[in-house]
Amino acid sequence: MVNEWIRIKSSVWFDKLRHKPEYMSESSSGPGLTIVGKKTPALKAPVTNLMTLFANNFLVRNLIRREIRGKYRNTFLGYAWTVIEPTLLSIVYWFLFIMLAGNPDEHYAVWVLIGVIVWSCFGKSLMASVTSLSGNTRMIHLVYFPRIIFPMTAVFTNIVITMMSSLVVIPIILAYGFPFGIHLIMIPISICLAGFLGIGLGLVFAPLNCIQKDVEHLFRFIVRAGFFVSPVMWTYEMALDRGVFGEVVLWNPMVVPITMARHGLMGKWLDMPINSLFYSIGFAVVLWIVGSMVFHKYEREAVKHL
Amino acid sequence: MSEVVISVENVVLRFPRRRSLVSLITGMFKKTKRTFTALDGIDISINKGEIIGIIGTNGCGKSTLLRIISGIYPPDEGTCKVKGNISLLAGLGTGFSAHQTGKENAILYGSILGYSEGKIIDKLPEIISFSELGEFINEPIRTYSAGMKARLGLAVASAIQPDILLIDEVLGVGDPTFKKKSTDRIMEMVAEAGTVVIVSHSFGMLSDLCDRIILLEKGNVVSEGDPSEVIAKYHSLAKKRKSGGDE
Repeated sequence: MVNEWIRIKSSVWFDKLRHKPEYMSESSSGPGLTIVGKKTPALKAPVTNLMTLFANNFLVRNLIRREIRGKYRNTFLGYAWTVIEPTLLSIVYWFLFIMLAGNPDEHYAVWVLIGVIVWSCFGKSLMASVTSLSGNTRMIHLVYFPRIIFPMTAVFTNIVITMMSSLVVIPIILAYGFPFGIHLIMIPISICLAGFLGIGLGLVFAPLNCIQKDVEHLFRFIVRAGFFVSPVMWTYEMALDRGVFGEVVLWNPMVVPITMARHGLMGKWLDMPINSLFYSIGFAVVLWIVGSMVFHKYEREAVKHL
Repeated sequence: MSEVVISVENVVLRFPRRRSLVSLITGMFKKTKRTFTALDGIDISINKGEIIGIIGTNGCGKSTLLRIISGIYPPDEGTCKVKGNISLLAGLGTGFSAHQTGKENAILYGSILGYSEGKIIDKLPEIISFSELGEFINEPIRTYSAGMKARLGLAVASAIQPDILLIDEVLGVGDPTFKKKSTDRIMEMVAEAGTVVIVSHSFGMLSDLCDRIILLEKGNVVSEGDPSEVIAKYHSLAKKRKSGGDE
């Protein structure tokens, strides 16, 4: 009885977050005149954004499918590109590093590959969410649905594609004889953390990018530069030997996800001070909270600039 | 019948102009406005069951007004209130993905328009038969002609029965036979929907269909009322503007 009541209550409340709530069309005697686009308080945005996503999950799933299908269209190799692209990149970095510093580690090429995969998940998620409004001008002008869906689908698409790239660890495990076990779960977790860091930061700047496209160019630079201060071509262990430099570099929240994926492949749990894990996750959560509030507050004004 | 379902109260909408460093410097020497006023204090109230036409020259704010009502733009001043479910028919087939099949796109477009999953699955056979695509429904959309895409778009969009239907120049797509069918379908939707707002340039159709026509000019409501009178007013305004331009 109580359960039933909760179910009905929550479904009505949930339904309100859908962009075409069904309760409206079913009862014409429903609510009276309502103000179009009345906003929920910005303070609640971090939660309502997530709820909106669940309430519109059918739309979100369809949009993600569209993005993924469109990504490797007209290619002979198709989804194999998700693996080929990071592999080719790592080969280039591997050569570069050997030329510069000699061979530091027998598995160095593998660590670079993992670094490239996790970092590009962050970089692409960040760029995708920053450009999510300005890149969907046509759709924004012609249909209305909660705009948070644009950056979220862009980032989810990236996470799915990165998960596909991460399948490359299977041949690596077989070739190098890494342990095969539960620790591998840290790879998808680290990818999600990287994507989450990306969207938080991206949400803050997505509305601004509608107003002035400079933001996009600035972020393209940030992603390129961030590559070097994140442990992509180097590892956490290398940084530890460098004294002050190593300590400074650990303030970068991307150190944790990349190192996490590498340690997962090695077959151990994250071998870093637990504080840095909390730091990185906390960073992501704070970015999400700030990002959702900023996005919620300015998104509607910003689309007028498109 | 006199229940108000759309109430636009003193709505002002200004579009910002894009600025760059160069324009900022040159702007110091000449006066340019920073914003463009698209809607300048619009007051409209539409009752349940009315069919309203909106006319006006290009750029007078017709489409912008529909976008305000459907929630795409927030008004800068004033409020817009509605009662019931709104559906905006504009740019049929927005968001189609060229590499998915007709059926997948029907589901995608349906979800963009706000169908729930169960509803679109229910409506799918109806959509497919209305679109008359036959075998093509399982082919990727990139193989479709423009008319076929429009047909699929209309088939999906018209499967909704909203309380308030906003139509922005989407009448008459496809070949002549389908054009007839699509016009009939939209008429059917108009008959089913409680309230309809149509933006169009085909005055013949508007005067047949509408209870009331609103004439917009530079973001203001210039005239409002009986279709034939307002259309006459539009023509006289156009004539005046033309002669004004000649002088």
